[in-house]
Amino acid sequence: MSGTKLNILPVPTFRWLGVNGAERDTDGLAAKELAIAAKPGEKRTSLLWIDSEGITDVKITVPEGAAVKLVEVFDVPGQAVSKVTAELGDSAAFELVQLYLGGDTVSEAVIGLNGRRSSFTADIGYMLGGQDKLDLNLIANHTGRKTLSQINAKGVLDGDAVKTFKGTIDFKNGASGAKGSEKEDVLLMSGSAVNKTVPLILCAEDDVEGSHGASIGRIDEREVFYMQTRGIPEEKICELAALGKLRQILSKIGDEDTVIRINKRLGRGEEDE
Amino acid sequence: MSQLLRIENLSAAAEDKELLHGVSLTVPEGETHVVMGHNGAGKSTLGAVIMGSPEYRVTGGSIFFAGEDITSLPADKRARLGLFLSFQSPIEIPGITVSEFLRNALEQITGKRMKLWDFKKKLAAAMELLDMDKSYAERDLNVGFSGGEKKKAEILQLLILRPRLAILDETDSGLDVDAVKTVSKGIAEYLKNGGSLLIITHNTRLLESIKVDRTHIISDGRIAAEGDASLIDEVIENGFEKYTDRE
Amino acid sequence: MKEKTQVADVDRSRYDFRYAENEGDFLDSGITPDIIFEISEEKNDPDWMREFRLKSLEIYNRTPMVNWGPDTEGLDVDRIVTYIRQKNRMNTDWNDVPEDIKETFEKLGIPQAERESLAGVGAQYDSELVYHNVRKEVAESGVVYTDLESAMHDPKYAGLIKSHFMKLVPPTDHKFAALHGAVWSGGSFVYVPKNVHLDIPLQSYFRLNAKGAGQFEHTLIILEEGSYLHFIEGCSAPKYFEAALHAGCVELYVGKGAKLRYSTIENWSKNMYNLNTKRALVQENGQIEWVSGSFGSHVSYLYPMSILNGRGARAEFTGITFAGEGQNLDTGAKIVHNAPDTSSYMSTKSISKSGGVSTFRSAVVVNENAAGSKSSVNCESLMLDSISRSDTVPVMDIRTEKCDIGHEAKIGRISDETVFYLMSRGLSEEQARAMIVRGFADNVSKELPLEYAVEMNNLIGLEMQGSIG
Repeated sequence: MSGTKLNILPVPTFRWLGVNGAERDTDGLAAKELAIAAKPGEKRTSLLWIDSEGITDVKITVPEGAAVKLVEVFDVPGQAVSKVTAELGDSAAFELVQLYLGGDTVSEAVIGLNGRRSSFTADIGYMLGGQDKLDLNLIANHTGRKTLSQINAKGVLDGDAVKTFKGTIDFKNGASGAKGSEKEDVLLMSGSAVNKTVPLILCAEDDVEGSHGASIGRIDEREVFYMQTRGIPEEKICELAALGKLRQILSKIGDEDTVIRINKRLGRGEEDE
Repeated sequence: MSQLLRIENLSAAAEDKELLHGVSLTVPEGETHVVMGHNGAGKSTLGAVIMGSPEYRVTGGSIFFAGEDITSLPADKRARLGLFLSFQSPIEIPGITVSEFLRNALEQITGKRMKLWDFKKKLAAAMELLDMDKSYAERDLNVGFSGGEKKKAEILQLLILRPRLAILDETDSGLDVDAVKTVSKGIAEYLKNGGSLLIITHNTRLLESIKVDRTHIISDGRIAAEGDASLIDEVIENGFEKYTDRE
Repeated sequence: MKEKTQVADVDRSRYDFRYAENEGDFLDSGITPDIIFEISEEKNDPDWMREFRLKSLEIYNRTPMVNWGPDTEGLDVDRIVTYIRQKNRMNTDWNDVPEDIKETFEKLGIPQAERESLAGVGAQYDSELVYHNVRKEVAESGVVYTDLESAMHDPKYAGLIKSHFMKLVPPTDHKFAALHGAVWSGGSFVYVPKNVHLDIPLQSYFRLNAKGAGQFEHTLIILEEGSYLHFIEGCSAPKYFEAALHAGCVELYVGKGAKLRYSTIENWSKNMYNLNTKRALVQENGQIEWVSGSFGSHVSYLYPMSILNGRGARAEFTGITFAGEGQNLDTGAKIVHNAPDTSSYMSTKSISKSGGVSTFRSAVVVNENAAGSKSSVNCESLMLDSISRSDTVPVMDIRTEKCDIGHEAKIGRISDETVFYLMSRGLSEEQARAMIVRGFADNVSKELPLEYAVEMNNLIGLEMQGSIG
């Protein structure tokens, strides 16, 4: 395969697992660059709905006391490349909400938690099926003291979908008092889907708290039984559970029109409201 | 009176251990029965097996409901025949709201999709009866609910789904006095509409306001004694001891 | 200011003694076909083995160095002496073992352990086994515990060895597997017949005494259906300034319904490059349990792999890694679920102090054919100061929907509240910290035979002494 190597895992691991990077030919793809520079103390939200092939490159600066929220919905019928870079000042907050509804996406976000008490939260949702592919590389670099990161990913894989989620919390030396947590929750609905979960914690500072957790597989047996006792058949339970996963990310979007648009896209409009 | 639930010589095991040994019991339509016994006697196992929990394996005997052999039916089919189980500790289901969950369940059980407006009205009325804050309708099912709120949410489902027979597994445990009253009010409402009950309990707080037709004492996975409502009082007075360790 | 934990270098005097080598017993350093011929000649290899060695050398020469993990720049394989001849042949009577070697193992407590609690013992000194013995009743049950070279020449086992040797870890696996295939020497062959349960463990002890040398022992264990074995390996070496290399290979075949527990306490000196490869193939309802303590070495690459190849097979991995000054220990485990209803459990702890680097690296692969599988991984890391490093690099590759996979990891330091709580009950701060670290490590110590658990706790105690600055 030719192309550029993207989404490089900060600490490479066993080659045969195929998670150290993602090859992507970016030459033919149109690039869209976007800069979001907040003013100190400013609060702002940006919303991007990406539905055509290309590269989306968002560069964000969040200075002292500012809070930036970026919502990106990827619904691309073909290849997409996404890159988000954010640099955070003292007490700055950056919230990233990303939703992947299909396509073949290579997406990276690198967050610099430089300022003291800066914080980063990521809520990532995906609902993939058919031949969809997604390679995600999320890196939270903690350099500032008392910085905080929280990464939360939830998704559903059906059909022949292939997804790799690489989430790295990197506590650099000097980031004392920093905390980072990471959680991925994957619902598998097909025996031919492939899920790769790669949650890294890198640590060069003792005064930190880091954790990650992952849960991958079918719906909890007790959950299935509970819903069955209320008369709901198994297929319907799967559908509800899948939607439930995504719903938890949708609730973070905070924009009703976008949520309605997503529900419509998923064939879940409230038909009689 | 027709026999709504008929259990014949039922044995069941979890993993390799048999927990029920040949239990027989019938509940006629419209009656309220109580199953009492020690902790670990097999009461909750009985309720779970009647509902078809995958945690247990039926090793002998049969369960009939409304004349149909349901012994090997999956739980959702049992529910659609009109069987309901109120769980002792209901699990949390993130991402699915109380309202959405119940509307889907109701659609499955009745075979009809209720208009959203009508459903919301019905839900609101039931919640009011149970002193539940309206916001709970849009909260994820049982997620972050207190013990008492979870029990109320179970009774809320009972009122919306209106089964022919409801099994209440320790619905009164862990509730304060006011919550017991509220839950009792919900149960009375259910009975008013012609429901039948199988109440599994080891104390009697819930039974004070309910007319009991028959009592079954279970001990070591077997029915140790049966009688009318007066058996409850006898058990309260003398304890379960005389029913245990019988060969 | 935060209290910093300053930890003294471990007192390794128990391990660091050494004896003079006899000049003239060394084969030249570096690896050429001539060296291979010489090793092969010395061992009286059957033809297939000589060819296997030469083929492995070819693979070695064309395989690139690993390009991830800790730096191996300090390791110049061409300068490592791959084979050291022993003057005396292997013995089964301890009294016949040469005096200096005997003294070495006695200091390490090997013969004593044998008398007390082991079913059989093997001891390797540099390249060759010097001692091997099993209890009479064990031998009578049909259990074979011998060195691989002898077994290779025994018509009863020659076929078994040919069909199993480096089939699980082929020389093409990585550069050091190829090197191992070319120059392997010593190690153990264990065969446990159908339904034989060995209630007391077998142990082998590896000691690399010569400086600038490599140890390339091969351990091959075959458990037939329904059998049980606990195998313990211990490793140590005195400290030299020249790099030493350990590129051993462990291949474990666990039959239907059989259960193997494989325990290792590795305490190589801090000039050792420990590039060991361990792998188990587990059949239907079989079980492999790894218990692994990594304390020594300058650099380690160690990820025991379990391949669950039969329905209901199960793997358990319990490990601890303690990286101190000058150490870069990259450890973990790999598990491949290759059959339905298989299960795996991993519980690891790592401790970093005084500039030590510890990396937990894992792979859990659940293939399409592994419906009904379960896996649960739990790893915790403790940072004792801010000049050390601790990385956690797990990968889960899941290809069936009918599975339950869980993973949890935590990193942090000893909490001030916990130290305060213990101090409020009368412990000194040093005692409190040592107690917390010992508690942190108890997932491993409680899986070890008592005398090893005691040894491990002593090691931790030593590491923590004078830790309050």
